[in-house]
Amino acid sequence: MADQVRILHGNTFVVSDDRGDIEASPTDPTGLFAWDTRFLSGWVLTVDGQRLAMLSVDDLQYYQTQFFLVPGTGTVYIDAKLSVMRLREVSDGFRERVEILNHGEEPVELTVRLDAGSDFADLFDVKNAQQKKGELYAKAERDQLTFGYRRETFHRHTTVTAQPRPDYDEQGMTWKVRIAPQQGWTADLRVVPGVRGYDDKPILLAPPAVNLGGELDKWLADAPHLESDWEPLHNTYRRSLIDLAALRFAPLSSGGRSLPAAGLPWFMTMFGRDSIFTSLQALPFVPELAATTLRELAARQGTRIDDFRDEDPGRILHEMRYGESAAFKDQPHTPYYGNADATPLFVVLLDEYERWTGDKALVKDLELEARAALHWIDAYADLMGDGYLWYQRRNEETGLENQCWKDSWDSISYRDGRLPGFPRATCELQGYAYDARVRGARMAREIWRDPEYAAELERKAADLKRRFNRDYWVTDGEYFALARDTEGKQVDALSSNIGHLLWSGIVDRSKARAVARHLMGPRLFSGWGVRTLAVGEGRYNPIGYHVGTVWPFDCSFIAWGLRRYGFKKEAAQIAAGILDAAEYFDGRLPEAFGGYPREATRYPVQYPTACSPQAWSTGAPLLLLRTMLGLQPLGDSLVVDAALPAGMGRIELLGIPGRWGRVDAFGRGRVRVEAPSRLRPSLAGQR
Amino acid sequence: MSTATETFFAELGRRGHEPLLRRVTGSIRFDIGEGRAVQRWLVDIDHGDVAVSKRARGGDCTVRTDTATFDSILQGSDNTMAAYLRGAIGAEGDPELLMLSQRLFAGPERTGYDHG
Repeated sequence: MADQVRILHGNTFVVSDDRGDIEASPTDPTGLFAWDTRFLSGWVLTVDGQRLAMLSVDDLQYYQTQFFLVPGTGTVYIDAKLSVMRLREVSDGFRERVEILNHGEEPVELTVRLDAGSDFADLFDVKNAQQKKGELYAKAERDQLTFGYRRETFHRHTTVTAQPRPDYDEQGMTWKVRIAPQQGWTADLRVVPGVRGYDDKPILLAPPAVNLGGELDKWLADAPHLESDWEPLHNTYRRSLIDLAALRFAPLSSGGRSLPAAGLPWFMTMFGRDSIFTSLQALPFVPELAATTLRELAARQGTRIDDFRDEDPGRILHEMRYGESAAFKDQPHTPYYGNADATPLFVVLLDEYERWTGDKALVKDLELEARAALHWIDAYADLMGDGYLWYQRRNEETGLENQCWKDSWDSISYRDGRLPGFPRATCELQGYAYDARVRGARMAREIWRDPEYAAELERKAADLKRRFNRDYWVTDGEYFALARDTEGKQVDALSSNIGHLLWSGIVDRSKARAVARHLMGPRLFSGWGVRTLAVGEGRYNPIGYHVGTVWPFDCSFIAWGLRRYGFKKEAAQIAAGILDAAEYFDGRLPEAFGGYPREATRYPVQYPTACSPQAWSTGAPLLLLRTMLGLQPLGDSLVVDAALPAGMGRIELLGIPGRWGRVDAFGRGRVRVEAPSRLRPSLAGQR
Repeated sequence: MSTATETFFAELGRRGHEPLLRRVTGSIRFDIGEGRAVQRWLVDIDHGDVAVSKRARGGDCTVRTDTATFDSILQGSDNTMAAYLRGAIGAEGDPELLMLSQRLFAGPERTGYDHG
């Protein structure tokens, strides 16, 4: 399989090979995707029957790519008299310009052919090559080619048009072309996905596309400006902002405002957890993402008991999907609510957002939703009646087993590798519940003017903290257990989850140093970041999805947690490791990379099928910047308390937006961090 | 016309205030049924205050569907978003109102917001 090229806008994206061709198969998930449906599964360009060979590919923008090609597919291409360029731009569907240049002395006559087709696969079926239950059709007309799929009243179609007009047939289109010497030929193509609704009328699922170029410039200009002595940080910062722009998703009801989708290619939709975590990471840079996330999640907050969707009143959604499987209820994603963390995190984000922006109006506006979320923790999530937050799916068929961020089947285990039964109460959920109550109490007292409710929330928070520090503390190991089982026993593996506990503030001061020591110790800290599961645990595997890999997003919240408890050096060490790793990925951190010790591999090993760009990995460098600079809103001002790794030199972050207007933050690297190996000057370097 | 539909609108008219829609001001017209048997209701929402009439005109959003689909949404075995994606329910006008109209339809258990 040739290298894949991806370009995207919102939830429309194109995955092709490095020639620009699309030849989808169950093992090769290429195509034009929108609304969780593949609208094009074949798109192959030939000249005189010959496939093309790639000379180079330029990713001009996240939504734009140019392919430079020559006819012939040999390992050594012939001295071509022709060159072919394809410029592709994604908007609602895509536009493509095909240009053929004749470099010879003689005119040429060519047959240019584009084979096209669509299987209208649902994103959830792409890898399984599901048999379609409806009818596929193709229709070649004089001026256009249409592919379509109908199942009862469900109807999706793709329209292809081209200038100059080719001869369309049901498998594609053909041009007979004559090109004079030293001249070129150009064709402009347009591929438009169509969604039909009731009465077979076209419907919109999102606001119309905007002018992407001008809009991206404004997005970058509005973000704070970064100056740094450490050059790679510029690249990583810019990459993060651009990817974050690319991952924005505007639901139909948002009036064109965007929130972060979870990641390309499989998660270009609204996810409660991912949208919230990314909004938190991006708050100091683009606070408007948080506002949209809060509004849109509130508008879809659960209102009833629905076992199929794992919905409860007050619960914040997990995932929204638009494809065939959601429409026909083969999947519960309209929306699906099965997660246990987005609901308390919704309250956490609302409070943090107001602290930064001073937007009290939104906190007032969402008072009922915030109260409903807090009520959900007590009324619907305390499945064992012991005051902890538990999860267990009610949709046994298509619901999610693990409803925390580590959602793979084997992520929650005892030291010896055994898996606990259900329900489960993972530790970080208790931290989020604690933090949601503390923050809810602040909003109740200061904004909702309900001191009684504030006092009640504070009482519950204090009680939870006291019991948690007793029940989850693994005495012989001096850390917090990963979870609690139904018999009240500790699920006692050592994991990165303890870092989130610092972030939430649920950890007793007296226990914080031991937790920090574990996070930075050889079993958890790889040299790049904190492993999801510690070396030596039964299920530890350095390339296990949630059982040994390092997740940049996880590390960014752990660093925030370490700063919260005053561990500046440790937070700087994690920032140094992750930002150093980012350089190996040209500024774009993957979802996860291997948990191998840094001195063993010397470079971070990307997790095989990691999703990239992924919103919360994109947000990780932003949160690490915040953490290193020690940015913290205090009343109407922004406190800066920098603790940078020594190799970073000077950082200036100029024009940080917030309730203070715009302010600048400065820091100089003074914290010595350790790097076990160095192939190049890294953040541990001397200055 | 199904009794379930009639009962629902009668009950909705008596509900008076729906706290889940307190930020909503607008009107939704429901055209339920097929062909000549279409029945129409206009639901006016003013900051959550709900009024139902049998007016056949107007509405910031018009929702159209057949009786069977509407019944299954009322019972909770279907929801508006899935039906909309399937082409089984239509909406013209403000699409946000369609999404929020889901909140008019209680599921099997209706608890509303209890402020604890």
